[in-house]
Amino acid sequence: MSRTDPTIEVTRIGLLAWLLPGAGHYALGQRGLAKILFVAISVPFVFGALVGGVKESINPRANGWLFVAECGVGSYTFAGWMLASRLPTIAPPTPSPYSSYYPESDVAQIYLATAGMLNLLAILDAMARASGGGQALFAREAARKRAAAEARAAAAPAASGSPSPPNAGGTA
Amino acid sequence: MIGWLPAATVIAWAPFVNPLKLPPGTRLWLVLPLLLCVAVVYRVTRAQSASGLIRPTLTTFMNILIGMVLIAAGAYAAHELVLRLA
Repeated sequence: MSRTDPTIEVTRIGLLAWLLPGAGHYALGQRGLAKILFVAISVPFVFGALVGGVKESINPRANGWLFVAECGVGSYTFAGWMLASRLPTIAPPTPSPYSSYYPESDVAQIYLATAGMLNLLAILDAMARASGGGQALFAREAARKRAAAEARAAAAPAASGSPSPPNAGGTA
Repeated sequence: MIGWLPAATVIAWAPFVNPLKLPPGTRLWLVLPLLLCVAVVYRVTRAQSASGLIRPTLTTFMNILIGMVLIAAGAYAAHELVLRLA
């Protein structure tokens, strides 16, 4: 199997995008978009982790579904989970210095989950671009629709270009 | 006090380990930067290059914001209606 196998290339781009926001686009040569994606996904994730603290916010035992959403950003979630697993657990009646409470916990969950889902969108976009020569999926679909419309338009005159029916009401 | 935080909290605070306390009243306003991030990522997935992204991003941001405000207003109206009818 060659290095340029499209399946391997798409998988590599997807993995890069999963590991670091924007890395897939960067590898495809779309560096401007990559930098924007990196900032737009990293900022909410880092802010959510700062506000919520990793102990409760990036921990599959504390909130499994939130962790699933966060896994959209692979390296950040893994690093946060590693840090969270090193922190001691404090019994619930005592306010833990590692736990966030309302409203911070709400804000942290929304920011972290949104960042994970946004990176999922970025991963899918990077993989679609990798399979389509760097073009965004919508651009290819638009080009396909345009080509189909042009083909229809070209076919229509050909169909109507057949000899017109004789003028029934015409006089000889 | 340092801002809204006690000085001892600032000294003992370790990023990502100790949760950050938000200033009171900021919770609702934090929707704005998040919406901006959503609009940016959505627009990037539809862009061929980074140039010319600002205007469509702001349009998407405003569309989402207005939509969410309308949904919130509708939910509030429904809530008030239910309270009056109950």
